[in-house]
Amino acid sequence: MSNHAKKAAEFLKDEERARWHDQSLWFLREKRDNASKSVPDWESLRETAHKIKRHTLANLPRYLEQFEENARARGVHVHYAFDGSEHNSIVLKILKERNVSRVVKSKSMLTEECGLNHVLQKNGIEIIDTDLGERIVQLLGEPPSHMVLPAIHRKKEEVGKLFHKYLGTEKGASDPTYLANAARAHLREIFLASEAGISGVNFAIAETGGITIVTNEGNADLGNSLPPLYIACMGIEKLLPYSRDLSVFTRLLARSATGQPISTYTSHLLGPQPGQEMHVVMVDNGRSDILKQEKFRKALFCIRCGACMNTCPVYRRSGGYSYNYVIPGPIGTVLAPHRGIKKYKSLPSACTHCGSCTDVCPVKVNLHDQILEWKAEVDVSGNLGFVKKSAMVMATIVLGNAVLLALVGNLARMIFRILPKPICNFITIWGRTRDLPDIPAKSFRKVYNERVMNEADHG
Amino acid sequence: MDNKEMVLGNLQSVMIEEDASYPQYSHPHGGIKNPSESFKSILENVGGECFFIKSYAEFKNHLVTLDIYKSARNICVCPKELGKESVDINSVEKGHDLRNVDLAIVRGEFGVGENAAVWVDADSLKYRSVLFLSENMVLIIDSGKIVPDMEKAYELIDFKKLKSGYFISGPSKTADIEQCLVIGAHGPKSLTVFVIRP
Repeated sequence: MSNHAKKAAEFLKDEERARWHDQSLWFLREKRDNASKSVPDWESLRETAHKIKRHTLANLPRYLEQFEENARARGVHVHYAFDGSEHNSIVLKILKERNVSRVVKSKSMLTEECGLNHVLQKNGIEIIDTDLGERIVQLLGEPPSHMVLPAIHRKKEEVGKLFHKYLGTEKGASDPTYLANAARAHLREIFLASEAGISGVNFAIAETGGITIVTNEGNADLGNSLPPLYIACMGIEKLLPYSRDLSVFTRLLARSATGQPISTYTSHLLGPQPGQEMHVVMVDNGRSDILKQEKFRKALFCIRCGACMNTCPVYRRSGGYSYNYVIPGPIGTVLAPHRGIKKYKSLPSACTHCGSCTDVCPVKVNLHDQILEWKAEVDVSGNLGFVKKSAMVMATIVLGNAVLLALVGNLARMIFRILPKPICNFITIWGRTRDLPDIPAKSFRKVYNERVMNEADHG
Repeated sequence: MDNKEMVLGNLQSVMIEEDASYPQYSHPHGGIKNPSESFKSILENVGGECFFIKSYAEFKNHLVTLDIYKSARNICVCPKELGKESVDINSVEKGHDLRNVDLAIVRGEFGVGENAAVWVDADSLKYRSVLFLSENMVLIIDSGKIVPDMEKAYELIDFKKLKSGYFISGPSKTADIEQCLVIGAHGPKSLTVFVIRP
């Protein structure tokens, strides 16, 4: 079994949890549908967002420098990082130079991608994730399993047990309000005592040199307003040319992510507050290489809303960890193979090509087309594996020859009608978890031909 | 080569052949017929409360009837029209000192009909942390202005001099434990918006 399939099978062992996971995410998908339908201009907003991203990425060096210049003029220290380890060194250096021993961090997929937490901890700096879901997975010693809902794979009883151990909540308590309040009190003290704050960035505006951060909890805002030192880390693809463009993206982001009309806090930070030191680290880490490949370029338009995950029939039933990459789901499937096709060769196969991800994407990333491209790349790079490769070779021969196809079809129909159902189910794999439908007596071609003849007879 | 040269250098070889011009766009929200009504009903949906009133005097009368006011020991009032309450944001030494504020009363510039967001220009606040540390929050939109959508909203903001500004829609919240909505994550546990319209 491939990597993804193996991990998916593990996830599916707990049937009840898997069903709950599937339904919770589908619930979000439905909320997204309602929210998007409430905006009459939804489709043209998506189109505009797509064009703004395309324009920005086509002119990225110019916009990066413009952002840098404007942010500097507002007193922000701007850094470029070519890769993840440079990013980590830059952040570490800033913290070390100021003798920081404790940092609060709010959700940032980029710092996950670069493995920042690990590097800081190794260097004796305590880093505390402050988004509730991220704090839960951090205490569990796990990575997030969803971009927007990091702890979606865990149940409240598990969180209750965890908080009993670390935060001293009552034994056996699992009420989400009680647990969230305990986390609030616990993290409030940490915020007040923190020496530095780190956050991600949703949008960076070239025109002003400002950054925009979107959250529901308010953790990013405590993290950037209390400590004397604030570091914002962003991928270079987060730029937008003008402040006005935020009107397009703020309308798409929360509706796509959770079905909210907007997130609770959309924070615009243009320079440090009085007495504060502020840094922005702009990270490439493979992005410019993706930008060079036309067929994969649009993956960089992504605004990390998670809608493609919530709708994906495979993600919902296999869980975030089955992807074995920091970003799971359809967007993870198109990003991960850039980090090594051999390592992530099983991901493109974890796709049914239903195209739903592409349909819900607020910036119109052609996700399922890119996954198809990756399927081809997996083959071309010799990573398809013997079984899949042989099946493809055989299918090419059979499907390319009408006589052979008819012959094989007849043979298969005959065998499947003779063999008992349990054996049919077993040998097709697909039938191991559900009954195969009954095999029809006639082939499609036969039915079709008979009907055509019939119609000809009866005029 | 330093990091900047490497990043920009690598980007120089990116060639995007298809049309990549900046789009001309305008997307007014055609579904918002009555921005004020929409603002109120969406704010209630996202866990907040909204009152339309006629004057500051009426505001004061209304405020004292609210539980969040009656139970508050430390109240921080930012618009000077309302005078001072127990915590003066301008006399504390740092943002952290606002940690015990039970109720913050802050001015919002305008509201947005499509999503119940209120634009708060934080430059008038000595410490922006008051927006996130206080247990409960009251926002007063004394301009009486509710615009229909985000497009109109961004037209009203002048970013040239702004240092920090926020769209705030409802109280802070989380659904990170089993997708159950909990109002009051890290920020205020309630949000009440007063729109003053003579």
